Amino acid sequence: MDQNFRYYANEAPAGSSDRLRLSFALPHQTLYKNTEVQQVNIASTAGDMGILANHVQSIEQLKPGIIEILENPTTTKKYFASGGFAIINPNSLDINVVEAFPLEDFSIEAIRTNLAESQRIASTASTEEEKAVARIEVEVYEALQSALNK
Amino acid sequence: MAFTWKSAGITYLKYTQICARAVRNALKEEERLIAQKRDEQGIKFAKWENGKQGDLKLVETQQQSS
Repeated sequence: MDQNFRYYANEAPAGSSDRLRLSFALPHQTLYKNTEVQQVNIASTAGDMGILANHVQSIEQLKPGIIEILENPTTTKKYFASGGFAIINPNSLDINVVEAFPLEDFSIEAIRTNLAESQRIASTASTEEEKAVARIEVEVYEALQSALNK
Repeated sequence: MAFTWKSAGITYLKYTQICARAVRNALKEEERLIAQKRDEQGIKFAKWENGKQGDLKLVETQQQSS
């Protein structure tokens, strides 16, 4: 009878080291502390990437964008982070950003008015620095708009 | 568009500060009021000599004048 059976590898036991341990911290708050998750999608300056367990080690600079945490196959949480760093170790991921909020905390009207104001400053400001600051803000608000429209 | 701020003399710390402020300003009223309390942060320093405190200086204003 054994000859008629094909054996597959056993499913890894839950809570094994094959899961990704996520630490996600802000200067004023800890969102995740060594929590086991399935996958984390980040927006790095090198491009968007999904992190699973046993990812190659890396340090990524995060741009203002979505951090999507797939806690388990049924629960997904989405945050918009202002920027920071992600440190990727084989079985753990440390994310440090200045500000991060769930998408439902943002006001579409506030984004729209702030975007219009920053765009105005970007084209009319007298100094290069003021223009650069306004351009950074425009990038943040545009990233927020596309994040909320998804 | 990325990193064009560097040529305008903006440091990475300044850049993250601007991004964080923009994110706070995009929040709904309730969350925004709590978050904006974190916006104003600075560092002051004073040199102590012979047990007396010297002039109190804001690091930010020092940087701007130099």
